[in-house]
Amino acid sequence: MRRLSSLLFLAGLVTLIIAIFQPLPVGTATPAVGTAINHAAPEQVGAANLVTAVVLAYRGFDTLLELTILFTAAMAAGWVLDKPRNEARPDPDAGFILLAASDLLFPLLLILGLYVILHGHLTPGGGFQGGVVLALAFFLPLLARPGRRIDHQLFSLVEGLAGAAFIGIGLAAMLNGQAFLAPLFGTGELGALFSAGSLPLLYIAVGLKVGSELAGLLAHLAETEAVG
Amino acid sequence: MNGPVLLIVLPLLTAFLLPIIYRLMPLAGRLTGPLILVVTSIIGLTQLQHLGDDTLAIAMGGFPPPLGISLYIDRLALAFALAVTLGTLLLWPKASGDNPDSRPGSLSLILAGAGCGLALSGDLFNVYVFYELVAVATYGLVAGRGTTAACTASVRYLIISGFGAAMALIGIALIYNATGTLNLAHLAELAPSRLNNGQGLAAFVLLLIGFGVKAELFPVNTWVPEVYATASSRLTALLAGVVSKLALLIVLRLLVLLFPQPEAHLLMLVLGILGVVSGELAAWRARDLNRLLAYSSIGQLGIMFIAFSMPGQAAILAGLAVALHHLIAKPALFLLAERWGGSVQGLSGAAENSPVAAVLFILLSLSLIGVPPFPSFWAKLLVLLELARQAQPLYFLGAAVILAGAALEANYLFRVVSRLYTPDAAQPVPEPQRLPELARAGMLGAVLVASIFVISPINNQLEQLADQASDTQRYISTVNPRVTP
Amino acid sequence: MIIPDSNTLLLIAALGLILIGIGGMVLSLHLLRIIFGLALLESGANLLLILATYSDRSVAPIIVGGKIPAHMADPIPQALVLTAIVIGVAVLALALSLALRIQRAYGTLDVRELRARLDQDIAAEAGINLPHSQDAPRSPAVVNAPGGAS
Repeated sequence: MRRLSSLLFLAGLVTLIIAIFQPLPVGTATPAVGTAINHAAPEQVGAANLVTAVVLAYRGFDTLLELTILFTAAMAAGWVLDKPRNEARPDPDAGFILLAASDLLFPLLLILGLYVILHGHLTPGGGFQGGVVLALAFFLPLLARPGRRIDHQLFSLVEGLAGAAFIGIGLAAMLNGQAFLAPLFGTGELGALFSAGSLPLLYIAVGLKVGSELAGLLAHLAETEAVG
Repeated sequence: MNGPVLLIVLPLLTAFLLPIIYRLMPLAGRLTGPLILVVTSIIGLTQLQHLGDDTLAIAMGGFPPPLGISLYIDRLALAFALAVTLGTLLLWPKASGDNPDSRPGSLSLILAGAGCGLALSGDLFNVYVFYELVAVATYGLVAGRGTTAACTASVRYLIISGFGAAMALIGIALIYNATGTLNLAHLAELAPSRLNNGQGLAAFVLLLIGFGVKAELFPVNTWVPEVYATASSRLTALLAGVVSKLALLIVLRLLVLLFPQPEAHLLMLVLGILGVVSGELAAWRARDLNRLLAYSSIGQLGIMFIAFSMPGQAAILAGLAVALHHLIAKPALFLLAERWGGSVQGLSGAAENSPVAAVLFILLSLSLIGVPPFPSFWAKLLVLLELARQAQPLYFLGAAVILAGAALEANYLFRVVSRLYTPDAAQPVPEPQRLPELARAGMLGAVLVASIFVISPINNQLEQLADQASDTQRYISTVNPRVTP
Repeated sequence: MIIPDSNTLLLIAALGLILIGIGGMVLSLHLLRIIFGLALLESGANLLLILATYSDRSVAPIIVGGKIPAHMADPIPQALVLTAIVIGVAVLALALSLALRIQRAYGTLDVRELRARLDQDIAAEAGINLPHSQDAPRSPAVVNAPGGAS
């Protein structure tokens, strides 16, 4: 009975969606606002990567909220999984390949992550992408040596301060007489590393926050008591 | 000029720093959250006074809309933002006693900030992100209580809400495809030409499913009884009272600004009627107080949907009146349900141990049903009058359903009341109400009683709010979106 | 056979993901599969969002070497999807944590049994006796729970 009703629901949804999307003009819509941003962004914001200009300048407020969602979810997950694994029976260390690889890859991942974060306004990438790489850099050693204790306090400190820094930069713009999250420090030379004003700073805050949050979250998941 | 931004940013900033504050000084940590909410409420009140009759648009980041995100500040938005901050302050989670934990405080602050953002935002995707933020904070607060039942209820809520969010995202994709912009004022300008078609209607349906999850719309409200039964009573009060109204406000804004099509209104009417019918019938059959109140909440929100489904300023006024009343009465009832939330049978003779609470319960029940002189009588009357004025025959069905619902409400609520006053020798009397919960419920009850004497001024204030809310032209001219400067 | 053009293919892909996701969520009986269905649904929705202003002759909106290319793609959906993906990850992480916790406590992730256990727990806390048929056999979850069998 349940299967039947589910299938009926699904069939109805399929017909509905086909009916909706018949005349959907994919490939022919002209984005008015997007084109305007593409014209205005190089002078207004100074970032060579226009998507970063949208993410951090034009829609920087959304990015702040996105960070907050990640913070909230990580905090909630940590709260839910609050029972750490029994100390007496840690998982054994991984094999030689993983041990050696994690030691080798840790600095490389750090460099890659920082590179992606710092060049977010010039090339594809940015705080979120680089932050994920940073999180993996800290998680890989944990996979190799599961018995090693992770310092959750440090992660929590970094993520709190990084988030506050993001808002702080936004408030600094407000104290400067401009609107909240207005870009500061001028636009600089297009394509240079030190361009686009306060945008690289914002992305550094984002990267650190995302990195520490995801690392903490993964560590919580790894440390939770064995299932079953 | 930038004041309203602080309503959103200040609680979020404090939420980020709260774990660090707790680490340094636990006592300061316990006080920081409520203190910041007090400050935010004061800022909100001054902004409300400052605003007067005007409407204001704030461009975030200094980028004029529609290139950037803009906030839209009118009295309705500020009133809701204030309701969120005061509500979170009043229903601040209980301190866990021995172990200082910053997490409930952080999550509650995020809920407050995100709620203000929902009320104030003027950009479609920004509204979506705020909505998700409220959702995630809620999942955390519900599950954080610790019991596995709460976690199960939370994951069920998450699944339904996640489904709704994805639907809303598809709706946003459809709207962006049709118009090329996300700013609500710009969309309002373009809506008559670009959204008045099948694509627009489909987008409305999807957005309604998405935002309707929190507004306890039929049929995406199956999460409500379980979550309300397993979450702590203060959180339930906050969810039922404040958060559901925020979601309703979003739906109202979208309906007024973007989708004036009659099909959209009809759909809201149908879903509202189904909500009232299903909610009140389920409440009538419920055997524990928590779920009874939860289903009753679904029914009341159905009434609000029916009210908002009618075009025009008078209908918005009626809906706002019902919403405002529910915002005060329902949390008070849920606070009383903290002690009394178990089976209705088990409440036999509870009035002995908590006479004040029993009287309060009677008052609140009368208010919920809509007995004069309570303000809800005037609110429901407005809805019924407006319904009678409509041409569509379906609206009469709406009126009939609301009246039948009120009769059912009277039945089941007074069933509970009679239980309270009939002691049963075979059962132990439930313990007396705890003072903090009783005090809060008492405050809300006092506000309700006081409002009986000031219905006329309230009516005038709400009329102004409804005027501004229904004035789409004013919205567009305040924000003044210009693609090329 | 006529191959549909790239725009239609992309649209079919997005709709397909959405439908598979919804199908998975509605038809699955295991909590983890429902969560995976949600993840697929979100991927499909993100793809659809990009397709809203997609054009197959547009270039990435990145200025390389000081030269601004003609026909740059619309940067807004890309920023929106960036946000939506992060939101999806956050929700997924929380969902998995909850699932882990539920599995630890209830020992099962079958949706029907979870329903039964949840109703039981709520009823137990409220002090109600759940109605049960005298004739029909009870589900194992109810029989094995404390105080379930009579």
